[in-house]
Order: sequence, then structure tokens, then C-alpha cells
Amino acid sequence: MSLLRQLLHRNVGVRTLNNSVCRNKVRFLTTAAPEVTRETRRKKLIRVDKKEKYPVVSSDECFALLYTFKRTLELRYIQLHPAPGSTVRKSDEVARGQLKDFGKYVAECLPKYVQTVQITAGDEIEILITPEGVLPVLQFLKDHHSAQFSNLIDIAGMDVPSRPYRFEIIYNLLSLRFNSRIRVKTYTDELTPVESCNDIYKAANWYEREIWDMYGVFFSNHPDLRRILTDYGFEGHPFRKDFPLSGYVEVRYDDEKKRVVLEPLELAQEFRRFELSAPWEQFPNFRNAHPAAETVETEEKGKK
Amino acid sequence: MAGVVKTTTGLTGLAVAKRPHHTLGVLYSKILRTLQKMPESAAYRKHTEEIIKERSQILKANSNVEAVEKQIGCGQIEEVIVQAENELILARKMLNWKPWEPLLKQAPLNQWSWPPAQPQAK
Amino acid sequence: MASSQSVKRVVKEVKPILSLDREEARQRVLNLYKAWHRQLSYIVKQYDIPKNQEQCRQKLREQFTKYDEIKDIRLIDMLVIKGQMELKEVVNMWKQKGHIMTYFKDTVEPKPQDFLSKFLSGKD
Repeated sequence: MSLLRQLLHRNVGVRTLNNSVCRNKVRFLTTAAPEVTRETRRKKLIRVDKKEKYPVVSSDECFALLYTFKRTLELRYIQLHPAPGSTVRKSDEVARGQLKDFGKYVAECLPKYVQTVQITAGDEIEILITPEGVLPVLQFLKDHHSAQFSNLIDIAGMDVPSRPYRFEIIYNLLSLRFNSRIRVKTYTDELTPVESCNDIYKAANWYEREIWDMYGVFFSNHPDLRRILTDYGFEGHPFRKDFPLSGYVEVRYDDEKKRVVLEPLELAQEFRRFELSAPWEQFPNFRNAHPAAETVETEEKGKK
Repeated sequence: MAGVVKTTTGLTGLAVAKRPHHTLGVLYSKILRTLQKMPESAAYRKHTEEIIKERSQILKANSNVEAVEKQIGCGQIEEVIVQAENELILARKMLNWKPWEPLLKQAPLNQWSWPPAQPQAK
Repeated sequence: MASSQSVKRVVKEVKPILSLDREEARQRVLNLYKAWHRQLSYIVKQYDIPKNQEQCRQKLREQFTKYDEIKDIRLIDMLVIKGQMELKEVVNMWKQKGHIMTYFKDTVEPKPQDFLSKFLSGKD
């Protein structure tokens, strides 16, 4: 229970508007509570009680907060004290500390490009950077004495249409010297080109072609950008969320023409049951899930 | 053992360095000269100078290559040379990039929030 | 309100893909068109398609005029890039006869318009 006590010592409290629930001060985990309260304050649902310096929220919100708080606590507790035989991966506290320190180090060295440093899944470090910083950050991570991430494992893409810049480009790096991995993420949209890192990592050549083929993100200064996975004559970029599962064209062999023909897709009525609900919203409970990542406080933020 | 000449590094494409002390000395002084063109407050300059100075001190203190390798603790001397070469390239590029300047721009609101349906105030 | 929005849209900074202004984008489109045009005779011969050069020329023109409405420089650039990639695929013989003939859509039947033919075709 020492962990719980430790968390409760953080002095963030919430009181309800009608004082019906949580009449006494309920103390919350800082990482869970302030985000919700700040958001609700922005919407003017709550006002800040100046005397006590605790945000005042409605009872519904209090329940929401309690729920989030509970989930966060549970998850953290499971990570630290897995049940015997549990399949949840333990996160190594020492490694976590080292990764956090390294994240701070990167953010300190490259304040121009690093937006956020965060730890996900217990012990994986992610550096979120501006799109302009792809080359400097990757070059730094590759060539700096205390980084030496000399292997580019993969470049991945991600499409979230609701965001201002819908695509995320994710670089996974490996440092053989320090036996460590790091993930660098940046963002772009359909028409904003990203600098190709082919000059830094030769492995990037095909990965960037994959991203171009699947998402339609253009990489400037790439030596040989062309399709790699789809067939010639294929239209569209299949990994975009607005690409229909059935595609746009169908291919068949035509006996009269003696060749393969491509035709616009036409499905008979019974096959035309489109899944209109967005596939990335299948789990409404997921909406209120705890934040997936834990932000590392960097020097820059500490000053503010 | 002292008289035995090292014939291979055991790493493909990495030849045995003939005069490691000389090569490293030149590289380190080049790096330091490049770093001096950066502003004093730049964190990258501070940290790199620290590393380089530590390594060059070890280099000066020991004439024996094996002792140097052991004290630096970052692989064989040839690998250390490669690391220094990389750092030199990086430092020269950093002069153009100027990464010590303040953040170019913040990410748009909700750009990094996950799950995406959940708005988070930053 | 509408005017302030339009102003905002103009002010919004974007990173150019290739071209900095309309004239440059236009030049790129023209260059691409000329490049295709020059290759047409070889394409007709090498791919052994049942079309003559004149038909191909018409198709080429159609493919370009299809995008007449597009004024956004970045969109134009993106289309030019894709067009160049396609030209490369065609000239290097990466594509096959079927891919070339896809442009002509000679197997695609026009969609039935009136009720009876819709009913007979069994679709819609």
C-alpha cells in the first residue's frame, strides 16, 4: 500500500458543486485529475474555488475523475506488482529511470525540435518532434556519442483523420552499443512533404517507399520514390482510413480481350454491406481510457 | 603479449588503425574547434565537450591502446575512431541546424492525444 | 465571418512540395505533358495495343484536362509527381498491356440509366 499512500500525498483535491459526493477532500493522482479538470474548466463547466485552490466539479465529473483515477492506479499497480503467473509484462524501474534521463537529455540538446518526451507501455521511450526536425533529430540520435542509434528498424505510418495533421510518421531506432530502442514520431498531412532520411539511414529507402505507397505521404529528396507494394495502375493509398475495404477497382481475366482487365468495382446488392461506422471507434469504452503515455517533464517545461 | 601486433578488429569493413592516438587526437581537436563556434549556453556543446575532453584526457594519460580502450569502455579503438568521425560530421551539421534555438512550433491541439476521441487540454 | 475565414486560409503557412508559384507549377505540368507526348509513339509500338497514336494522344489530353478545375499548387504538384511516376512505369515496361488499356476503359459498360435496364442488369 505504500505506493497508494505515496500517490495520495500529491495534493490535488476535487470537491463537487452540490457537495453531495465527496464532501471531504478527495485526493487524486496528479497525472489523472488535472487534465480532466483543466479541460472542463475550459468549457466553463466548473469554476475554481479560490479559497481552497481546488477545482470544483459536478458530481458526474467527480465520478468520471474517480473512474480515471482508479484505472490509472490499477494499471500502475499491476505493472509494479504483477500477480504470480500474470502475463502482464513487468516494467523495469531502473531502465525507466534511465530512459527518462535520456529523454531529458535529448530534449535539452535539441530544444528547437523536440515537442514532448514520453514513456509508453511502461518502458518504451518516444520523442515527439516537429516535422522540420526529422533530419537533425535522427542524425543526432545516430551520430552522438551517448546515443549511437545506428540501426533504423522500421518506419511506420499512422492515419488519424480527426487530427489537424492526419498522418503520423514513426521511426523505430535501435542502438546496438547501448542495447536500447527509441521511437521518434512526427506528423504530416496529405500534401505536406517530409524530409527523406535516406542520407542518414540507407534502410529508409524502402520504408519510405512503403509509406508513400500506403499513405501517400511525399518524401522530399528521396532518390527513388515510387510504388513498392501495390500493382501498377492501382489507385489510392490503401492504409488511409477513408480507403474502402473493398478498394476502388477489381481485376479479372477477360476471355474476349485475352488479357487481364481492371474495372471500377461494382458489387451486387447482397455484397454491398459497407461498414459505415469507423473501424477505429469500435470500442466506445476506449474513449475514457487512461492516457496511454506518460509525459516526461523536460527542462523547457520546468522553466515555465 | 606486448609485442603482438593486432591484425584484425573482427568487424567486417573495419580495418586496424595504424596510429590511433594521432587520428583520435586530430579528430577530437577538430570536434572541439567546431563546438567552439556554437553558443556557450548550448546544451549540445556542453555535453559533447564534456565527453570529448574526458576521452582525450584518457588518451593522453595512456600510451597503451588496450588501456585506453578499457578506460573509455566503448568498444575497440577503431570503433571509438568511427564514433569520433560521426560526432564531427554531426557537429558540423549542427552548426547549420542550430538546434539550441527555442522550439519552432508547438504541435496543434490534440495532435498527440491518444485515444484520438478523447480531447486533452494541453 | 466568411471573409475572415478566407483571409485565415490565405495566411495559413504551408510547405511547398515542389513549386513556389503558379507559373512554376504550370511549367511542370507542361513538361510532363510534353514528355508523355514524346513517348507516345514508342508506347504504341512497344505495348502492341489496339490503338493508334492519335487515339492515345486524345486519351493523354483527356487525362490532363480531367484535372482542369484544380488550382491548388500543391495538388498540382502531387498530380505531376504521380504522373511522372506513371510515365516511368510505362516507359520502363514495368506495366503490361492490360495496365495501359485500363486508361481506355474498353470493357467498362456504361451504367444503366432508365429503370428497365437497371432492372435487367440486376444492379442497383
